[in-house]
Amino acid sequence: MTTKYYCTVCDWVYDPTVGDPDSGIAPGTKFEDIPDDWACPVCGVTKDMFEIVEE
Amino acid sequence: MKGTNITETIHYIGVDDTSIDLFESQYPVPDGISYNSYLIMDEKIAIMDTVDRRESAAWWNNIERLLDGRTPDYLIVQHMEPDHTGTIADAVERYPGLQIVASARAVQMLPQFFGATDFAQRTIAVKEGDTLSLGHHTLQFVMAPMVHWPEVMVTYDQAARVIFSADAFGTFGALRGAIIADSATGSPAWPDEARRYYYNICGKYGAPVQTLLKKLSALDIATICPLHGPVLTADLGHYISLYDRWSRYEAETDGVLIAYATIHGGTGKAAHHMADLLRARGASEVTVIELSRSDMSAAVAEAFRHKRLIVAASSYDASVFPPMYDFLHHLQLKGYQHRRVGIIENGSWAPTAGRVMKEMLEQMKELELAEPIVTIRSTMKPTDQPAMEALAEAMLA
Repeated sequence: MTTKYYCTVCDWVYDPTVGDPDSGIAPGTKFEDIPDDWACPVCGVTKDMFEIVEE
Repeated sequence: MKGTNITETIHYIGVDDTSIDLFESQYPVPDGISYNSYLIMDEKIAIMDTVDRRESAAWWNNIERLLDGRTPDYLIVQHMEPDHTGTIADAVERYPGLQIVASARAVQMLPQFFGATDFAQRTIAVKEGDTLSLGHHTLQFVMAPMVHWPEVMVTYDQAARVIFSADAFGTFGALRGAIIADSATGSPAWPDEARRYYYNICGKYGAPVQTLLKKLSALDIATICPLHGPVLTADLGHYISLYDRWSRYEAETDGVLIAYATIHGGTGKAAHHMADLLRARGASEVTVIELSRSDMSAAVAEAFRHKRLIVAASSYDASVFPPMYDFLHHLQLKGYQHRRVGIIENGSWAPTAGRVMKEMLEQMKELELAEPIVTIRSTMKPTDQPAMEALAEAMLA
């Protein structure tokens, strides 16, 4: 299972199957494995502002 | 204030600011700007947003005259930026029964801006699809995160088929009583100034704007009431299609923008020569901007309007002449992408501008670099002509 996370500030969703290639996060990267200095590509907040998407 | 009706029960209570020099301390507004606000008179009375503190006195005049002794029940806060929230604290104090209706994120932000005001029991946090009945009017709240702040929402008046669109569909320029826009075709200024407004303020947030447009497409909309610029009542498809195009980062002309940063004129001469070469080859539109002497926000908007861009700059301090650095930094911030780009550098002893411009452009998405990079030594010479012609060909290929 690939757990999605959403940004609690701007609602952007991190989907591990897509990753965040523009910020150097390859597709397939689990949210837990993203470096701590990564930021939400839309609003800029840090990783600790993300929560699991309950599906 | 005259002719304030949007509908029989929705009134314009916004104000013009014609003395401001730079909107958001950055954007020239030679024709001023309006801070829009609206009043819905029903069994319950709702105020839609407030205005900048700079013009609060005029806003209070507008509102008190229309209220005619009645008291407002709700203040709908769609966006927390200070040009729309300047009188929130005063309104809460003046009307003890007034409830602030806003997104949960906006409610969280209130104390950040108004630390001295006690908002306890004074706020109603709404979420996507929530409604608020005023009697005849029912307001439906539509969340619009990152258009262009995270707390933004827009509000749909189901009875009047009016969308209060927050900063979306806004533009620069004071209204001077012309609250309702002429038809889109009759207002050539709207696309130009609205484009400058859009790309500079919302440019980075194309995806969130697309999300909002999809939500709006499900609503039956007769009127758009933005927070700046005229109310839109006719040709809504025209405005919406422009927003759709802009938020997809799609160019409006196949032509070429040449943006140049010159110190003593050598680079400028090369830039204008390049324009001649492009025109001679049948380029549909060629626009030339000198960055040192142009409004940056207009240059940014022009970059997005054109499908192709040539950047021409002098070398400076082993880097690039700062007006060009500033321009490319702006483009990067605003999400500039999907364009063909060419580079002309100038350097009298060690040309460095080309490398720096290329590195900055490489950080942007889906740009196609046209070859060759042209290097001028101080002034353009006949020996530079082949490279200039090759770049002109590659730009239009």
